Amino acid sequence: MMKKLTTSPYLAALAGLTALLLPLGASAELDAAAAHTLYENNCASCHGSDHGGFLAPALNAETLKGRSPTALRTIVMAGSFDTLMPPFYGKLNDDQIRGVIKHLQTTPKLPNPAWTIDDMKASLKVYVKDESTLPAKPTYAIDSIDDVIGVAARGKYGRGEGAKAVFINSKTHQQIGEVPTGTAAHIIDYNPANPRWAYIKTDTAEIFKVDLYSMQAVRSIKTGFNGPGLGVSRDGKYIMAGSFVPHNAVILNADTLEPLKTFELEGIDPDGKQVSSDSGMIIGTPFADIFAIALENAGQVWVVDLTEGFPVTRITDVGHHLHDAFLTHGGSKLMIASYDDSIVAAIDLKERKIIKKLEAGCVPHVGGGSAVVVDGRTLGFGTNFGDCDKTVVSVWDLDKMEVVKQIPVAGGTESPAAHANAPYVAVDIISKDRRARTIQLIDKKTLEVVKTLDVGGHAYFPEYSADGKFLYVSAGYSGDEVVVYDATTLAKVASISMESPAGIFSHGRVRYMTRGLSPDDLAARDGGLQGAK
Amino acid sequence: MKRWLLTGGLLLAAHAAHATNLYAGQSRAAAVCSQCHGIRTPSADAPFPTLAGRDAEYLQTALKQYRDKTRKSDIMNAIAGSLTDEDIANVVAYYAKLKP
Repeated sequence: MMKKLTTSPYLAALAGLTALLLPLGASAELDAAAAHTLYENNCASCHGSDHGGFLAPALNAETLKGRSPTALRTIVMAGSFDTLMPPFYGKLNDDQIRGVIKHLQTTPKLPNPAWTIDDMKASLKVYVKDESTLPAKPTYAIDSIDDVIGVAARGKYGRGEGAKAVFINSKTHQQIGEVPTGTAAHIIDYNPANPRWAYIKTDTAEIFKVDLYSMQAVRSIKTGFNGPGLGVSRDGKYIMAGSFVPHNAVILNADTLEPLKTFELEGIDPDGKQVSSDSGMIIGTPFADIFAIALENAGQVWVVDLTEGFPVTRITDVGHHLHDAFLTHGGSKLMIASYDDSIVAAIDLKERKIIKKLEAGCVPHVGGGSAVVVDGRTLGFGTNFGDCDKTVVSVWDLDKMEVVKQIPVAGGTESPAAHANAPYVAVDIISKDRRARTIQLIDKKTLEVVKTLDVGGHAYFPEYSADGKFLYVSAGYSGDEVVVYDATTLAKVASISMESPAGIFSHGRVRYMTRGLSPDDLAARDGGLQGAK
Repeated sequence: MKRWLLTGGLLLAAHAAHATNLYAGQSRAAAVCSQCHGIRTPSADAPFPTLAGRDAEYLQTALKQYRDKTRKSDIMNAIAGSLTDEDIANVVAYYAKLKP
């Protein structure tokens, strides 16, 4: 047969065919570099540049071992319901999808890529050279800049046209501006000393300095590959940002975004092992010229003094896998969640030591946290990621530092919202079924769930307007709108369309420090502090 | 004319047998369609058409053709294949009523 072929007139035809087929075969098989570029451009902002996961699961040879390439192809084509995973059908062709999957199933988790202070410096972009040309006051009607609410609109693909920060006047519920961010906006923070500046951090660790008066980005810098950590100092002079990839943090000049100092995040974890660590939350406090930063894997909280050389005080053995935190007592105490120990540790930022570890629920994720003053007691509220048998919101007495109650709620929760003038603490139910459409409201006085709102989409990140009159909620994932409720009657009053909205950040936060506390208390205390100076 | 009346009568009968349920349609649309087509609009970056406000009869015909593969699309043939007549009626009624 073979012989016959080699001598047959078909040979020429066959050779011609092979010549035709070979280049086709080569193009169908993406080379590794092309596959990794596709991964970087379409997947990495959620799944991690190092294939180690971020908002979404780690995708590498280890995690995908034994998974059917056909099943994976289906997920990539159609997206995954009840998650942020979008459909790539029509965006990537079949060869590309097959190529990426092959790449994922053969690539190990990569070593932590470097992103040095020089890389950061080289990434600085200036969009408005002369800031004195910016308008002196807002170019839109607004009573107070505190009425600005910023929403991190992710865009369905976590990047592209839909990815932006959208700013809304929380009294009129009208959009007043938007700032495109390339990849999904993740965190919005505000300058406590100058009302015109906001800072947006994206999924890919780019930080934009935004002029709220003219609603545009004036500068940006890339501080790493991913990680949500971002804080602004009380004097508005410094920003600190931390990354999951690579394991570092950086202090920036808040005005120019120039990096001033980087910190390698490593230390001895609660089990006595020296580890390199992701950056957890970073927070500036009205209490002092410091930043506090959580080292997730090292279980440490570092207090960085904003003085010459930015010296660090390490508080060790705080807990396993630290994540987020909120401030209380004028910002002198920090309540920080430990995922793996299911506790919230109270830290005294003045003495720089652990006060107490308080029982939380199952995998505590306090979000921005909430604290309210009820009948003379300051109560802290903590949400829990975990979807255990017993799903609760923890309430702590923040003066006595003890658990007051664990309030049963419908499922896992991610972020509590409260306001001094609003009767309810709102928590977002994130359990992956119909419950994800809902927000539950806890009465501040009775500490019972009194109402469940069916918001739609994946409802999360509730936030009150600065005056406490309205409750904003993201109907995220495919919900594609921010829904506004009257904070007292809970009647729906407005809807603002945007693609896959997530975190909601009121400018009022700079006045009340932690959501639920009265801005007047902080102002009075600030006055007291200034008097003492 | 008679023929039209007859078809109309059949449609009405079918309608009565499968009274559409907007709430069920919303829930099915959220689960099956919205990932690509969105509820009101698909993603700005996505290659999928808007369904909100589309003609009900068109949507119904299209979904049934996708289901029985007389209209070809790798992805729609698979997805429509999972829908019952009732699902299709509900989803179509829901999307047709929505304003894009």
